[in-house]
Amino acid sequence: MAEKSLKEAEKIREIVGQDLLGGRIGLLLGWEKGHYWWQSRPLFAKNEADLEKLTWDSFCVINLSRYLLEELKEHGKVGVLVKGCDARAFNRLLQDNMVARDRVVLYGLPCPGMLDYGRLNEEAGGALISISESNGSVTLKTGTGEKSVERDQVLMKKCAECVYPDPVVYDQLLLSPQGKKEGVERFKSVEDLEELTPDERFAYWEGELSRCLRCYACRQVCPFCSCRECFVEQDNPRWQGRAYQPGENFMFHLVRAYHGTGRCIDCGECERACPVDIPLQELNRKLIKDINQLYGDYEAGVDAEADPPLLTYRPDDPAAFSEK
Amino acid sequence: MKKMIGLDKLPALWEQLSAEGPLYLPIEERGVVCFKPWYEGAVVRLDALNGVVPPKDIFLPREETYMRYQGGSQTLEIEAVSPGPDDKATLFGVHPCDLKAVEMLDRVYIDQEPGDSLYRRRRENATVVALACSSPDPFCFCNLFEVDPADAPGADIMAYLSEQSLYLETRTEKGETMLAKAESLISDAKDEPERPREVKTTDFGLYLEGLSDNLKERFDDPAWDNLYKSCLSCGVCTYVCPTCYCFDVEDFGHEGAGERFRCWDSCMFGHFTQMAGGHNPRPDRKERVRQRFLHKLQYYPQTYGEIACVGCGRCLRSCPVNLDIVQAVKALGGEAVEQR
Repeated sequence: MAEKSLKEAEKIREIVGQDLLGGRIGLLLGWEKGHYWWQSRPLFAKNEADLEKLTWDSFCVINLSRYLLEELKEHGKVGVLVKGCDARAFNRLLQDNMVARDRVVLYGLPCPGMLDYGRLNEEAGGALISISESNGSVTLKTGTGEKSVERDQVLMKKCAECVYPDPVVYDQLLLSPQGKKEGVERFKSVEDLEELTPDERFAYWEGELSRCLRCYACRQVCPFCSCRECFVEQDNPRWQGRAYQPGENFMFHLVRAYHGTGRCIDCGECERACPVDIPLQELNRKLIKDINQLYGDYEAGVDAEADPPLLTYRPDDPAAFSEK
Repeated sequence: MKKMIGLDKLPALWEQLSAEGPLYLPIEERGVVCFKPWYEGAVVRLDALNGVVPPKDIFLPREETYMRYQGGSQTLEIEAVSPGPDDKATLFGVHPCDLKAVEMLDRVYIDQEPGDSLYRRRRENATVVALACSSPDPFCFCNLFEVDPADAPGADIMAYLSEQSLYLETRTEKGETMLAKAESLISDAKDEPERPREVKTTDFGLYLEGLSDNLKERFDDPAWDNLYKSCLSCGVCTYVCPTCYCFDVEDFGHEGAGERFRCWDSCMFGHFTQMAGGHNPRPDRKERVRQRFLHKLQYYPQTYGEIACVGCGRCLRSCPVNLDIVQAVKALGGEAVEQR
């Protein structure tokens, strides 16, 4: 891995180590390496030995903020490493009164964007052995040689479309800021879908959602899906049928998307978690786009003090449905 | 006698075989490969590694209505619904790991009294063509479970892919019947088919000998206190696992008429063990994660003699937080000593 991220990881370990070992926090949520170099999985560090495993590299994609919901039940004060998206997820939870700000220490990590193993492999065109990074490019080492690609080409899709790489809320910023990304084209695929006729659009979503296993990974990983009881599990009345029928798949995904209207922070974790690659961000972004058009630009999770448009009332709010 | 068919003739073969009943093949749609009934124009990916979802849903459909009812307050007419014409299926291109997993499901659904008639009928009527696997990915670890990626003992026909041809080796009468239907497209293999060389997968440094017995007394092991922490409580691992087989039973309809169906369910969901009256014996993620891994590593082997994993690698590829069976085995001490 890149020299730079090794140094950064060292620095992170040192700073959070002081707080964890000094007793300021009882638990640190971070990442450790998985089976392979391209996997980093959640780390629940309680002591020095755990901290040794702490990693920071181009594969720390998993959003850790959601784990606060469970961990704050056990620990008085929890530290968590937050990238841009994780920080917005934290704000989401804060606005929903799911976490207490004074019981969480946020260590901000400006994020260069995480790399996509699938895309790395495609670029390598053969058995990828390892990568190294320097100055915005990634060198791919395969059995037959080396190849360099621009870092932007091998980012995860959600990272390539990220607007806020820097944490918007933190107690301590551990690395230098990346700066807000300008000119990110997030709504292209939504606009393409808007061009379709209703029938075509229905057919498109019927096809995409037909793959849905209803494993609910999209919900479980989502920072706006923090309801203590989801409508899916409510059994009186029973909103969500158990059958794997197209109607039931629509029911789940549309209710979920609407519940996220004005609340989705656009982190893309749902789409990343989906085992069958349903383009869930297109649903979420359609609603983000509509909210922006109806109520003026609003970025969920950026400012915890700004009220989400659908959770407030103004006499001059547009009434899009009744006006039609 | 071994047979062969040129790859260019495969579409004709698919057309012929699908006339007899649904022909399940690894089909790519919008970039995702899954077993689906063949249709005109389908993108068949015999070269693909294991699809995201295992072929277990061909025998144990994601949902299946098995009873209809009609009546009023005094009488109720009940009609059994048995599998329709779909049950004469051909399953083409299953890798040896997945077929071994189906045999594990057979023990649960067929090899006991009473067997499960719906599953049994689908399974017994199906013809299975297994396909040798020549290029495992870093997540494949079937060697650890004595799966030979190049040979599936339970197949009706064993197939091998070469650059120009698909070689077919008949193993059962069912297999012969199937090939007879496609006689015009198939020729005798003049030379011995190039059997894939010995295919090696990783083993992640695991050592499973004695693990099942060892786990008998470890229900309260402290390892469980940490392992579950990252679990999101979604059902990905169970739905992509070829050896997971739990289902739920539900009614759809109203007092006057309706149907009863079963559908996949997952022990990773909180409601899986929710009881009437409010009690839940597995209230939290810890109990549920423990249940799933003990089922694979201890309960199943105790009943049926082997660990309920075939090393297909799907949980490693699909878990959004990389909590998979390899991590579980390692946390429980199942690593080879010399590799530590």
